[in-house]
Amino acid sequence: MQITERRVGNAVILDLVGELTYANRATFKGAVDRVKSSGCRQVIFNMHGVRFLDSSALGTLALVAQSLSGTPGRIALLNPQSYVKEIITLANLHQMLPVYHSEQDAIAATNLPAAG
Amino acid sequence: MGEPAPQMTPSVEVVTVPKPAPVILLVDDDEITRIGMAGRLKRLGYRVIEAVDGSAGLTAIRAHRPDLVILDWMMPGMDGPSVCEAIRADPELRSSQVVLMTAHDRPEQIAEGLSRGADDFLSKAASKQEVLARVQASIRSSALVREIERTRDDLDRSHKLLSAKQHELESELQSAAAFVRAQLPLPGIPAPGIAMHWAYQPSLALGGDLFQVCAWGTDALGLYILDASGHGVAAALRAVGLMSFLREDNLVKAVGSFDPGAIINEANRRFPLSQDGEYFTLWVGRLDLTSYELSYATAGHSGAFLHATNGDSRWLASASLPLGFDPASTFESARTQLQPHDRLYLLSDGIYEAPSTTGELWGKPRLQATLEEHRSSGLVHSITETMAIAHQWLGGDIFPDDVALLGLEIQDRSTAHKGRA
Repeated sequence: MQITERRVGNAVILDLVGELTYANRATFKGAVDRVKSSGCRQVIFNMHGVRFLDSSALGTLALVAQSLSGTPGRIALLNPQSYVKEIITLANLHQMLPVYHSEQDAIAATNLPAAG
Repeated sequence: MGEPAPQMTPSVEVVTVPKPAPVILLVDDDEITRIGMAGRLKRLGYRVIEAVDGSAGLTAIRAHRPDLVILDWMMPGMDGPSVCEAIRADPELRSSQVVLMTAHDRPEQIAEGLSRGADDFLSKAASKQEVLARVQASIRSSALVREIERTRDDLDRSHKLLSAKQHELESELQSAAAFVRAQLPLPGIPAPGIAMHWAYQPSLALGGDLFQVCAWGTDALGLYILDASGHGVAAALRAVGLMSFLREDNLVKAVGSFDPGAIINEANRRFPLSQDGEYFTLWVGRLDLTSYELSYATAGHSGAFLHATNGDSRWLASASLPLGFDPASTFESARTQLQPHDRLYLLSDGIYEAPSTTGELWGKPRLQATLEEHRSSGLVHSITETMAIAHQWLGGDIFPDDVALLGLEIQDRSTAHKGRA
């Protein structure tokens, strides 16, 4: 799994490429921790390059969603493809991590003040 | 105030243990030559053992394991090259360092000696410097060979230790797997009028998928299938933990009812995401044994397929988060009416997510079609055949994820007592 970090305005976009699985969850969590420690609470996971997601990775994403869900944290998933999209839908993960299909929409949505 | 106590400097005495002198075995029948060479070697600092012929030399090698053997070529009985061959033929001695000593050093003689097992040659007429150089070189080689042997012996010991540990762990794993399997229901007739069969294949010795069919009260059957994320021991232990929560007596205490929605709501509260993001998906059903009304609820699990005789076959699932993803989630029971001969299949995603050799997933539609094709077969045959077809799709024996497929069939009330399964 390759993870590239980009900053767009106040948001950090993590471009994920490869397989998001139990084997590389430490790499993924490390990247998220670095973003959190920089003070950024607006994080977008670009899933376009993720070709596989296992059940452990769903748990990791849910854990990240929980840890960033406090005000004013806003996170989103961007552009998951075919199989990954199906897995996210089946697990209803989009209830916790809204899915967007354009970077502009994801940035605009996560830039809103968090509810509550 | 008294004088400060004298500061004690801890004295460290470094004791250097002198390295024992290398041992050289000198084998020569000629006493004068032997005594002369032994004297030269002793003056060079070596400990020397002497043997008077080849046979005595071999005995001395076995007894003393010298660092170097210097063998005279010409000896009565076994000559030097024959002793070399005997040394190389003996697995215990074959790594010995051997120098052949001869009055002549013709090239053809040197070639013969080397081909019969000598490591080097030493002329009886060699200068003190040459003897020292050749002996030192041979002792260095000997030390390296012994180092390699020690390392090899250490590796052998470590390998044996690891093998024993692995055997122990595998044995424990098998015991744990047997324990987990013992938690599963016995195929057959879990309640009058209901037939049941299942297939279960964890991807490792222990799986995170578990299911149960058991009495919940006097007039209902509790059914559930759970999937702990991940595989192996950790997933199996967590799965058994959730299974304990779902025991009839515990549900009475912890939930106060057998309503599937209420059970999952309580489980969602009690089983949060672990620190490593591990979680469960769960499908719970309650089958009323009088009316055959099935109430069910699901937490992220897509795991039940109703194969109805009236053509209304469908997946009994609803979009919902797995347990622990959102403590504020609420789960509701849904209801459906089962009819005689209907089949209800509880299954884990491992079966329809089985990949072919090209990576294409088997998928729910193919699984559903397979189950429907076997409508006219008995329940046992339907499950066995479905597993066989999933294996064919996979093109191998081991599924990448745990696989569980459990089927229940409502029997015709008039034939229920016959126990058809």
